[in-house]
Amino acid sequence: MTQTDQIIEAFDARARRREERRGFFTNVMGMAAVATAGAAAMSLASEAQAQTTGPSEVDVLNFALNLEYLEAQFYSYASTGQGLPNNLLTGGVGTQGAVVTGTGTGSARRVNFTDPAIAAYAREITQDEIAHVTFLRAAIRGTGTSDALIAAQPTINISGAAGGAFAAAAASTTPALTGFDPYADDNSFLQAAFIFEDVGVTAYKGAAGALINNKTYLEAAAGILAVEAYHAAIVRTALYARGLTVPALRTNPDAISNLRDSVDGTTDLDQGISPTTVSGQTVSNIVPLDTNGLAFSRTPAQVLNIVYLNPRSVTAGGFFPNGINNGNTAIRSSGAN
Amino acid sequence: MTHETSILEIIEKTTARRHARRAFMKTAVGGVAAVGGLSLLAACGDDDAMSTPFPTPTPTPAVSTDVAVLNFALNLEYLEAQFYSYAAFGTGLPAASLTGTGTQGSVVTGSGAGFPRAVDFTGDPLIGQYAREIAYDEIAHVNFLRTALGSAAVAQPAINISGTVDGAFSAAARAAGVISGATATFDPYLNPTNFLLGAYIFEDVGVTAYKGASPVISAMYLEAAAGILAAEAYHAGLVRTILYARGVTNRDLITQAQQISNLRDAADGTATGTLAGGTTPTAGSASPDGTTASTGDTDQGIGGTNIGVLATGVSNIVPTDVNGLTYSRTTQQVHNIVYLNATGANRTSGGFFPAGTNNPNPAFTVGLG
Repeated sequence: MTQTDQIIEAFDARARRREERRGFFTNVMGMAAVATAGAAAMSLASEAQAQTTGPSEVDVLNFALNLEYLEAQFYSYASTGQGLPNNLLTGGVGTQGAVVTGTGTGSARRVNFTDPAIAAYAREITQDEIAHVTFLRAAIRGTGTSDALIAAQPTINISGAAGGAFAAAAASTTPALTGFDPYADDNSFLQAAFIFEDVGVTAYKGAAGALINNKTYLEAAAGILAVEAYHAAIVRTALYARGLTVPALRTNPDAISNLRDSVDGTTDLDQGISPTTVSGQTVSNIVPLDTNGLAFSRTPAQVLNIVYLNPRSVTAGGFFPNGINNGNTAIRSSGAN
Repeated sequence: MTHETSILEIIEKTTARRHARRAFMKTAVGGVAAVGGLSLLAACGDDDAMSTPFPTPTPTPAVSTDVAVLNFALNLEYLEAQFYSYAAFGTGLPAASLTGTGTQGSVVTGSGAGFPRAVDFTGDPLIGQYAREIAYDEIAHVNFLRTALGSAAVAQPAINISGTVDGAFSAAARAAGVISGATATFDPYLNPTNFLLGAYIFEDVGVTAYKGASPVISAMYLEAAAGILAAEAYHAGLVRTILYARGVTNRDLITQAQQISNLRDAADGTATGTLAGGTTPTAGSASPDGTTASTGDTDQGIGGTNIGVLATGVSNIVPTDVNGLTYSRTTQQVHNIVYLNATGANRTSGGFFPAGTNNPNPAFTVGLG
């Protein structure tokens, strides 16, 4: 085989790999799509309406802030056993809520790490996510001192106990991740983190266009996008490496990825980490990309499908039991998929 | 410890971590890195600083900014794709993927110890799997950008990815202090560990380049550029994570990564310092891509604090400022790094691009003066 042939075959194989994934997702989601066809038609109308109004830049930043509250609280509990201080949670938009930690097995608490590297990653990511909360609040506050424009932290459920959001997510995967306690140990923590990280990347990428008229916000959003991608790579790389000896650490993230893909609509926007074989050689899948080598985008509605853990158009659920806080009602509802 | 105290401590530690790192840079490269870092932060927090209207590129107004920026990116992707392709498969890109405007060059492979070739991953198959994944991604980026640019795509310039004694990798490692002496070589194809260090030289640079370009690219290409930015950040995160995990027991890797970061930080002209070899970069001039060269710390190693200490260790996989944002580099700063040259005398070529990069707008081919 010539070099050129080998490269071309590699390309074809990569394209096939994506196509196979896509085919799988289509099958998995077929039933849900049929069941919600009526709702989907309604969603098109509401999306068209939302486009005419269009979220403001502050709306977009507040949307991101809600996601950062969630991430920061999860990592903070996992690495320190405590949440964020109240002065990072207040705001004039929406009703401030508490963190639902749950009780007993699965409750939000400090992870008993045994691998110094994983513990070090957890602390680093915590610092970054808290910095994002702080930065976004400052960006929304702008030159003034008022918190009137800032979305208060909504109620956030990061419990893995019975009835908690992590428990609900674990029960929704195929196959279900039975007995999943996100705070139990290094491996559990990594899998829990996997639920969020790639979503942040797609959310910021999807929001880029909405910020194009403000270069300050745009470049900052690009900076956060990159950080979320670094975080996602940490989590995916650690899981993939450990998956060499513990196969579930590759197949469970695959199942979580499928869950994300099944609730956010029919387009394939997600990939697990399990390797594929290209030209007879094993290739990892740390980076979820399309055939052009680009990361995926998600709309706010698609992001909310995932964090609300619901393929339908709803305004609350999952990790945000009372919904997110935003001055623009159009970006508080998940998509109808 | 109270709830609030604990979090405040974390926040303080974040700041302390960044400051410590900045102080280290200051020592390592000499000069005003610490002050410069604060200037950068000020710029990040100041609406006016980055909302400055984009100035019209002066040299060749006929070339749109998008074409210049995407071609700038294409040069970097040629470099990355060739390196990973050789390391993973032992071959370069097909000839059909290298044509375009400007002078086409070849890959300077060199000969003897350190020439570009497939890395033997049999003793470390995981790294081989990562190498192949990244290689396919970078080749996809080359093809995507070439398709987006169509007939405006530049040809691949001459690229030096050799680890021979006079190769670009050896020159970079020598400048960084990873190796010492004129006859020492750094061969990124020698083994999986060297491959990771070789990859480390490029990956974060791609992230800062795409982020730096984000304010000047048009709406048509913004989302695609963001998609490549994300991919480069994933790659960088992958490489840094593996180096850190192995660095817990093999501290040389942490040290070498720091040395390479210091080199990039000194070479990109933002710190007043000297490259090994005794050149002094000039800080902060306006860049043709419409952004202003920042004057501070734009790079970080992976070590963080308390490496290997279970209770208190904090890694630094993600190079960020105190706002938790990655850094931006201008096209000039990126060129200073890939040319391995921060001087005014020879700033149009060098290092990994011995004949310079190709671009229809010549302002997008030079480093800082």
